[in-house]
Amino acid sequence: MNPDETTVAHLQELRRGTVVLACLVRLRTPDYGYALLESLNGLGILVDANTLYPLLRRLEKQGLLTSEWNTDEARPRKFYRTSPTGDALAVALMTDWRRIDDALGGLTTGDES
Amino acid sequence: MTILTDRYVWAAARTVPEHQRTELDRELRERIGDATDAQVEAGLAPAEAERAALTELGDPAAVAAQYIDRPLQLIGPKYYLTWLRLLKLLLAIVLPCAAVGVAIAQAIAGENVGGIFGAVIAVVISAGVHVAFWTTLVFAILERTPAPAGRRGVDMPWTLDMLPALPEPAKASRLAEFITSVVFLVVFAVVLVLQQFGLPWVDDLQSVPLLAPDLWSFWLPYFIALIGAEILFAVGLYLWGWNWWLAGANLVLNVAFTVPALWLFLTGQLINPAALEAMRWPWGDAGQIIVAIVVVVVVAASAWDVVDGAIKAFRAQRTIESATSDRGIREDLRSAR
Repeated sequence: MNPDETTVAHLQELRRGTVVLACLVRLRTPDYGYALLESLNGLGILVDANTLYPLLRRLEKQGLLTSEWNTDEARPRKFYRTSPTGDALAVALMTDWRRIDDALGGLTTGDES
Repeated sequence: MTILTDRYVWAAARTVPEHQRTELDRELRERIGDATDAQVEAGLAPAEAERAALTELGDPAAVAAQYIDRPLQLIGPKYYLTWLRLLKLLLAIVLPCAAVGVAIAQAIAGENVGGIFGAVIAVVISAGVHVAFWTTLVFAILERTPAPAGRRGVDMPWTLDMLPALPEPAKASRLAEFITSVVFLVVFAVVLVLQQFGLPWVDDLQSVPLLAPDLWSFWLPYFIALIGAEILFAVGLYLWGWNWWLAGANLVLNVAFTVPALWLFLTGQLINPAALEAMRWPWGDAGQIIVAIVVVVVVAASAWDVVDGAIKAFRAQRTIESATSDRGIREDLRSAR
């Protein structure tokens, strides 16, 4: 494995959990898969369709998202929404995320001094 | 929606259970449609856009498997080690038993050496394939059987008791092995010498030599000398532990003992004719069976002894290599400090 591949693998690993958190926060307003993909990538949370769609299904199975089919348009679309459990998890994850950020910040400052 | 999309969706949906098909069908069509639209917006022709979207989605079987959480491996990490340990154990028990059993049966049936070898090889291969296949099949089914809620399924948690013994015992614990083999060899030599006065514990042979007295001209002294060599070998083993030289010597000693002994036995020169008469040999039909069993057991025992020596030599060599590299690392660390 060349250094570039290693970097890519580690970045993916680091981002994996943040995609879950981003979905849970973003889907407090209901949306469908492709729109979510676009908006996350637009915000700079880089995620691949082959990762996102299975992830949505997994979160739904775990009861963190609820879903509903919208058949108003020509193409039926599945709209996902964060459930109360999902919301509670989002709060917990966000708290931990900030704690880790602070901790890493402390670590970096310690390095520089 | 085009034929291509229909084919893709059908290929994915047919592998999932009936009640999940409609949902998967709709979800996939939504996803393919949105992805195709995005490609068209990026400037591709509709047909090309669809091809690109489907290609990005990938193998429909994998998509469907992910959808219903079907494992994409035959045996996953949960069962792999249990499977491996069980398979090794089963092969180690079943194959030698099958080989010896078949060899005895073929020898009784009067097969020649080539026929016996052929049958043993064929049976060992087919038994090995069967054991491996059925064991793997059971674990593959286990892998696909959902565990009851809150349980981990069939599971063998690892415990400290499963730690293997260290491969090369220290010199102190080799002493027990050394004493055992020397005592055995000395007893064996004494029996070889004393049998010429008869075997007092066998009624029919109280004053008849068991082995043919003619053998004293060459073969019995040869075997006794060989026992002396075996004792020297045991001393070497005690001093140095197993290595490739000793494994080679073990092979030579085994061949030097087994081949002449079997030859003498099968050509009727080993056992004293008077002793055979006293024992009323042959015992009906049992005679041939007993000869076959003796031959197979002797061959299997010495073959196992040779293989066992080679395995121990191999393990000992590996231990030495890892010990020296450990020492190397430790010295490196010391010099770095």
